[in-house]
Amino acid sequence: MPRELQDAIVALRMDQALTLAKRMLADGTDPLTIIAEGSEALQEIGRRYAEGEAFIPELIMGGEIMKCLSGEVLPEDSGSDSADSRGIVVLGTVQGDIHDIGKDIVALMLRIGGYAVHDLGTDVPVEDFVAAVREHEPEIVALSGLLTLAFDAMKSTVEGIAAAGLRDQVRIMIGGGAVNENVRAYTGADGWGDDVAHAVKLADAWTDGGP
Amino acid sequence: MQDLAGEKLGDRLIAGWLSGDHLRFASDEARRTYRARAQLIVDTIRLKDTGRIPVIPAATQKFALDYEGVTFREAMTEFDKAFAAYVRQYEDTDFDAWVGPEFIFPAGMFEALVWNRVRLPGVHLPGDKSFQFVEAEYMKADEYDEYLDDPSDWVLRKYLPRLSPRLEPLAQLPPLRNTLVFHQGLPDLVLAAAANPGVVDAMAALKASGEAVQEWSEYLARVDQELGGRLGIPHLLGAIAAAPFDIISTYYRGWRGAIVDMYTQPEKMKALMERLLPWQLQYGVDGAKALGHPIVTVYLYKGADGLMSDEQYEEFYWPTLKRLLVGFVEEGLLVWVFTQGKYDERLHHFRELPAGTCLVHLESGTDAFRAKETLAGSQCIEGNVSSALLAAASVDEVEAYCQRLVEVCGEGGGFMMDFSAFLDEARRENVKKMIEVARCWRPSS
Repeated sequence: MPRELQDAIVALRMDQALTLAKRMLADGTDPLTIIAEGSEALQEIGRRYAEGEAFIPELIMGGEIMKCLSGEVLPEDSGSDSADSRGIVVLGTVQGDIHDIGKDIVALMLRIGGYAVHDLGTDVPVEDFVAAVREHEPEIVALSGLLTLAFDAMKSTVEGIAAAGLRDQVRIMIGGGAVNENVRAYTGADGWGDDVAHAVKLADAWTDGGP
Repeated sequence: MQDLAGEKLGDRLIAGWLSGDHLRFASDEARRTYRARAQLIVDTIRLKDTGRIPVIPAATQKFALDYEGVTFREAMTEFDKAFAAYVRQYEDTDFDAWVGPEFIFPAGMFEALVWNRVRLPGVHLPGDKSFQFVEAEYMKADEYDEYLDDPSDWVLRKYLPRLSPRLEPLAQLPPLRNTLVFHQGLPDLVLAAAANPGVVDAMAALKASGEAVQEWSEYLARVDQELGGRLGIPHLLGAIAAAPFDIISTYYRGWRGAIVDMYTQPEKMKALMERLLPWQLQYGVDGAKALGHPIVTVYLYKGADGLMSDEQYEEFYWPTLKRLLVGFVEEGLLVWVFTQGKYDERLHHFRELPAGTCLVHLESGTDAFRAKETLAGSQCIEGNVSSALLAAASVDEVEAYCQRLVEVCGEGGGFMMDFSAFLDEARRENVKKMIEVARCWRPSS
């Protein structure tokens, strides 16, 4: 049965996945087992995405199925900083920019990859990033921005974290369609990525102790 | 569609646009310059080997406003300030066309309606930031049938009330289709209006919004006269149309909703795209006629590489987009296809259209050199100079990239120099270097 649920999610069959989950629940399966099966399915979709075999719609649809499935079998997942997470990430779109699609997908991929992600949303002021770093003590801060106008806000955010004395505790990545090495140098961030897979690779490299 | 003399709409509009007769030229030199630039643009789209590379702006925004220290907020409310900035920018930079002010909309248009789809500088965002659009689910997953059954009713009583709290009272009106005669429908309609003071307020809000647009339109006409009539720079942007998939995924259902629909109700989504297609075609053609402009621009949002698989693109995105583009081409119009995001894997589709009919914009994520190979002899390409390069790199780095771009893409014609996206942060010396590289280019043979 669990394998059947995984297959339905990987095949993105929402109705079938929900029917199976409900049946498993009625048969006495532990809800956490159902969620674990769902997570494995999402990891498989994530693996396919990283290898170019799946695309953003698969990721989003997989996430939607998982959201519905969690709603059916569990109270809302709080996304706590569990001890077994790969690392903690504070993420948000910087002040003055309200674009969220890229940020949301990076958050989803990081969660699939085992990170505890605190998504601060869009148009996030510097002080909110600083407060979140203090509160959650993340290894990684991920600053998203689509617009070139975001470059200055990214720079201010990096500077704000430094001014609060927290710069040495975190590694900061910037992401968005318009960023490159020049922008990384300008903002003072530690790394950059212009697509989703890049963000996850960078996070993995950093948490594995890479440069 | 041809008239009695066999002339297509596009032929007539191209001749009119090339002449510049809609402008009052300040001098013979301005007229000559305008005509030479407009002709170069049309010839380049037509893939004539002109031996020159036109330089066009995707659109200049903060880059232009910085010439006079004008904030976005000011540009949206004090049009004289924006006017001065744009004139100075285009005097200082040697572009072959202008685009930009028409994308800095009047704040009053949104504010009178408290428009939900936008975040405004000076209201929601700092005054020096660009306004930004909010993508959300303005159409529910179960409303396809309702839309298909009576689109105007859905727009009037569902869509507009969701977009603007000022227009919420419109949701209380009875369906307009019920209005027949004095004893059926009409009394219901007028009673609903009379019983709800919000309907009168909604009309007042529409009027106030419209007045802001009127003032702004007059300003844009002054810009055209100044940049076109005095500086001899043609306006590149005419009518705008949208790909049916983008309308659903960007304006109605939101990207997330549209993706779920692709899996859960694909046939309804396709039925809606079929419904939207002829309307977009008509909208573009009517707009071209009204503006007397032969280039229809189609901004593409959700079709980029990675946003969907090739199979999904070919099933959901391309079929109605292709028919839209073909529809414009059959009218003799030229189409500025403004791709956004990485488009390496999609560009080959534009070869399916008649050669020399489209101007295909490339963002920096797209490989321009590969694009040249893909579309050589088929469609003109433009763009690709990255915003990050123009904002943060040295003049030498900009020169090196642009030099490579013109050497590869300029050969044989069918290429225009342009940046990757609407220009905000950029060093003037970098933009001028980009222009200079194109100006100095000469074909190798």
